[in-house]
Amino acid sequence: MPSFDLNLLLHGQYHDWLVSGLWLSLALTGMTLALALPLSVGVALLRLSPWAVLRALGAAYVEGIRNVPLLAHLLFWYFGAPELLPEPVKQWLYAGNIEVASAVVALTLYIAAYMAEDIRSGIRAIPQGQFDAGRALGFSFMATMRWVVLPQAFRVTVPPLISQTLNLWKDTSVATVIGVAEMMYQAAKVESASFRSAEAFAFATSAYLVVSLLITGAAAWVQRRHPVRAA
Amino acid sequence: MRLRSQALLGITLAATLSSAAVRADQLDDIKKKGEIVFGVLGTDEPNSFVDPKTREIVGYEVDIGQAIARKLGVKPVFKQLSVAARIPELQQGRVDVLAASLTHNKERESQIDFSLTTFVTGQKVLVKTSSGVTDIKQLAGKKVLTVKGGTQEPNIRKAVPGVDVVTFETTQQAFLALQQGKGVGYVNDEASLVNDHAKLGAAKKDYAILPQNISVEPLALGLKKGEKALKAQVDGVLRELESSGAAEKLFLKWYGPTTKLQFDKRSFKIETDQI
Repeated sequence: MPSFDLNLLLHGQYHDWLVSGLWLSLALTGMTLALALPLSVGVALLRLSPWAVLRALGAAYVEGIRNVPLLAHLLFWYFGAPELLPEPVKQWLYAGNIEVASAVVALTLYIAAYMAEDIRSGIRAIPQGQFDAGRALGFSFMATMRWVVLPQAFRVTVPPLISQTLNLWKDTSVATVIGVAEMMYQAAKVESASFRSAEAFAFATSAYLVVSLLITGAAAWVQRRHPVRAA
Repeated sequence: MRLRSQALLGITLAATLSSAAVRADQLDDIKKKGEIVFGVLGTDEPNSFVDPKTREIVGYEVDIGQAIARKLGVKPVFKQLSVAARIPELQQGRVDVLAASLTHNKERESQIDFSLTTFVTGQKVLVKTSSGVTDIKQLAGKKVLTVKGGTQEPNIRKAVPGVDVVTFETTQQAFLALQQGKGVGYVNDEASLVNDHAKLGAAKKDYAILPQNISVEPLALGLKKGEKALKAQVDGVLRELESSGAAEKLFLKWYGPTTKLQFDKRSFKIETDQI
């Protein structure tokens, strides 16, 4: 068995491939997070809405998405959904980076369902009295949420949201199946070009681990810095 | 605590010893087990694919596998593998022989052994005629699609510097992506491309296979390194297929004029394991 060749990971073409994969994985996480946060707040509010129809809509979204594996979401948004678009839109999309675009859509919709549930439980952790007080003072539903409930819920919600970000970071690896050149894709490419499985996957493993630990560290820091206040 | 670690050590030792015994000779093990496991793709017509009627894996490489099993007097088992998993699965002993559209090349010789060459195919590119591409050089800067973990990706990169390659788990996903217009070309072994092209039916006229080979690929069965007895047996069966005329018949059955591939004649003979 050839020995572990660290140089392979530090210089040259294989190094460049792996690093570009790492950047794309990080970019996927960032883009998805930026889109998923507002979407998940919207879904959480739907689920807490005073109107039954909106509540049902929110529940349908969460259950519909959470009960289907991520792999199926990715394949659907890459091979299935874009085909339903009108021809000119499709042409325009396919001329660009359709792999990354599909992955961001699939990951956003997927992770937002989980985040919405965390936000909803954060909001529900704020005693009903706070909400009632807001309404009694003449605030509307949205205004009560905006000025009274959400700021308090924010402290409760941030730690679970960071842990969802950790899941998201690891989930980006599944995007390799639709040809997104993220870290697992590049590691597999290095493996088949060089037969250096140990080196390629050691790089991917340590990069996933380091970023994951940083995210976990951020969660711990936030929790210490901004503890949940007793209402 | 101490006791447990000693027990663990014992188990580890026993496992190491027994796996050493297993490694002694693969051919003996195959005969003892009464079965030989072939790693096949099962998604690559006509080498190995699922017959829609019988739901069984059939094909050119499957027939070769059956001939080998018959000669050894054991039951053949066909296990489906992904392109990228072929060599690792063989090295880790989960399959005995690879019959999986496997290219024999110099880089892989350091990892595994190869039987006599069982098929020779060029690798080519299938494009949509609407793309206007008629020469592989025009693919520079354009997106082409193929399968992960095969020789297709390195070969097209070498043939067309600056090409943008996107890879998928199976060749059929890459082919689907081409049909959907997600890239201008689809790279694969010529035999598979001709077969895929034929599958398009009426839409066939909108696609063309570029004439240039991006490489010539000798395909062979893959064997675990250093299993000399098994290799001698496998090569023996292959030589017999060639001398008895059975190899020619197999070629005509899966690739000949009456098949979708419509190859007129065989341009190679099963005779050497040198490339």
